[in-house]
Amino acid sequence: MLGALALSRWHLAPSRVPLAWRNLVADRWRLLRAGAGIAFAVLLMLVQLGFERGFFTASLNAVAMLDGDLFVINASKYRFGTRNPFAPGDLETMRAVSGVAGVAPLYADWMDFFWTSPVDNKPHLVRVFAVDPDAPPVFSLPGIADQQALLKTDDTVLIDSRARHFLGMDGPITEAKLFGATVKVVGKFALGPDFMSDGTVVTSADTFAKYFRTPPAALPVETAVIRLKPGEDVAAAQRRVAAALPPSLRVLTKSEIVAFERDFQAKLSSAAPIFWLGTMVGFIVGTLISYQIIYTELMDRLPQYATLKGIGYGNGYLIGSVLRQALLTGVAGYIPAWLLCLVVYKIVGDIALLPLAMTLQLTLISLGLTLGMCLLAALLAVRRVIAADPAEVF
Amino acid sequence: MPPHIIGFGDTALDPGAMRRPLRVAAHLAWRILVHEKGRSALALVGVFIAILLVFIELGFFIAVPQGGMLVYDHMRFDLLLVSTDYEFQAQPWQFPRARLTDAAKVAGVAQATPIYFAGGSWQDPNGGTRLDVFLIGYDPAARPFAVEDIDRQSDRLGEADMILVDDMTRSIFGPLTVGRRVDIDDRRVTIGGTYHLGTGFLGIGVALMDEANFFRLTRRRPDSVNLGLITLAPGADKDKVAAELRQKLGNDVQLFDRAELTAHESAYWTLRTSVGLIFGSGLVVSLIVGLMVLYQTLATQIARHLPEFATLKAIGYHDASLAAVVTIEAMIIVFAAFIPAAVAAMAVYALIRSQTLLPLAFGATNLALVLAAVVIMSVGSAVLSLSALRRADPAEIF
Repeated sequence: MLGALALSRWHLAPSRVPLAWRNLVADRWRLLRAGAGIAFAVLLMLVQLGFERGFFTASLNAVAMLDGDLFVINASKYRFGTRNPFAPGDLETMRAVSGVAGVAPLYADWMDFFWTSPVDNKPHLVRVFAVDPDAPPVFSLPGIADQQALLKTDDTVLIDSRARHFLGMDGPITEAKLFGATVKVVGKFALGPDFMSDGTVVTSADTFAKYFRTPPAALPVETAVIRLKPGEDVAAAQRRVAAALPPSLRVLTKSEIVAFERDFQAKLSSAAPIFWLGTMVGFIVGTLISYQIIYTELMDRLPQYATLKGIGYGNGYLIGSVLRQALLTGVAGYIPAWLLCLVVYKIVGDIALLPLAMTLQLTLISLGLTLGMCLLAALLAVRRVIAADPAEVF
Repeated sequence: MPPHIIGFGDTALDPGAMRRPLRVAAHLAWRILVHEKGRSALALVGVFIAILLVFIELGFFIAVPQGGMLVYDHMRFDLLLVSTDYEFQAQPWQFPRARLTDAAKVAGVAQATPIYFAGGSWQDPNGGTRLDVFLIGYDPAARPFAVEDIDRQSDRLGEADMILVDDMTRSIFGPLTVGRRVDIDDRRVTIGGTYHLGTGFLGIGVALMDEANFFRLTRRRPDSVNLGLITLAPGADKDKVAAELRQKLGNDVQLFDRAELTAHESAYWTLRTSVGLIFGSGLVVSLIVGLMVLYQTLATQIARHLPEFATLKAIGYHDASLAAVVTIEAMIIVFAAFIPAAVAAMAVYALIRSQTLLPLAFGATNLALVLAAVVIMSVGSAVLSLSALRRADPAEIF
């Protein structure tokens, strides 16, 4: 008797018969349809999430490319992308701090420089960064870092090949007009536009100073990029630099300056709630689709489930099996959607000039949402199985 | 077979009813829907969400480009004079004021008012961040803004270094209390009051100033104008005046009437930025989702009632009348879901308006467009689901 019971327990152990898996693959066409339905909802969520991230990343594109250990900005700056420079004399103070290997100034302007587009021959506002070509690169972006030496010749610029098309920076171009004066295009980099700027021009401090009619040494600095000696403790050096500077200046690490800009964008950008709403809609649509799929599937297999109940399987086992199958269906929809999304990101990103990229974070969030919607749908639908009465089904 | 076994009621099988096919179909569709209230409710919820999604995406698609028209919509003018380099409201470039003086002399022009724009840097006298504020300088006597708050307070603007601030200016600017003193471009100014208009796409904060205060603060000169607002004399023919202005004024300016301006600003935001693509794709997706949900719902309903439909076929109903039943069923579901979806959309629009400051308006256009889309979707999905119906073979079902 005991032996029989043990045997039946052993027989009924879930691991013996992968019921959820067998149900899933029993009908290939049904699996395909179910997968396609869920994949659609997943793609909807991924695209919305991708847009949200893309807008965010675009607004951080320049800051993320800054290359250094510490960054000094005016303490009254509320975002990176607005002119609020400080006196160049403070650069010497930074250089004198122990542990500092070098300080490179970054000059910038967002609202004054117009670029005459070869496309429509009209002036358009562009973002301008100016660097010291002899100093170590302040941007790690390929195209700037390796080509800034070319800017040693006056009136030369590097331009953004991912700028909006109407600026004509993506075409073959060797000469252009910046602020009405002719400049020579000596190279390109791929940065891309953001909410404010349609395109970016990088030039030398000397060329930049000409437009302000000041000697380069007197140019106010937008950001000072500090490099520390190898092995220096960043936090300690940050405290030393801050102590040496007046309180009107702020010293940030790389992650702090990125967070500074991100906080501004998160607080004041109106794009994020739009895309979260879109994601939510994708989730709801996905839940409905999954419910439809799971419900139909359960109804079709109701006699089988009733039979299982009839021969002694408990509700727990059946619910577990339904939930497992829902999760498997979710994964079956998720994988093709994830792959397809890479293509969609590439195409839409190139058209909209948005940095749409699949990240681990996006993958985890969307996978979580997918499994969540399938589980929710399964929990709603499984009541039918629990209610299944073996005596009534046949 | 007694009629009640099939469950569609007497009307359906009344031979006289065959002559009134639409009424019968409608009755039948209704009976199917109320027969299983739970399932029908579920279908309704699905369709409701699909329609709501279309409303929201359409709202964004229309509203986001219109963020650029918000300030224009509250300005008094019939024709707008701008530089030929004009891009959009916040980047209008400049043209010589003399063009406006010339324009005022043209017959039919009642008034030609200059508007000046500048970017300023706003800081509390006690320190803190320097925030970008969009400054508008104008002559209050010309009353260019059709905003009640501005009209009421415009005599305050005449006082030295006095500003009016848009109350949609973001909260990081601090309290916009009357009498608060702030520094703009390092000049101390006083908040004389707030007005309710919205910052549109001008920036995160907007302040109005009298011309004289504006020139003193920005060190701009009066002879370079950003916008020229032209109002016509009563009875003047707009097109005739516009044609004469175009001919008389130099080739460094261009003229827009309101319709042309709306088209220009919308095109700028839709085509030049990624706004059009993002919300356009969202709209297309929402239509596909709506179609899918509707089709799923209807196809499931038909599959479940296949035996009944087959029976009806066996007793002489044609495919056409069964198709009518399905189409009417789709229509009933869709309209029943449409009304609460429209109400919910109004609430969501209001929420988004307050969250994003976008001019998301629930107008007749949205209502009509969504209704049209929804009717097309319901007919489309009914047609799609008919293939299942055509397969209904009385001999095979039982």
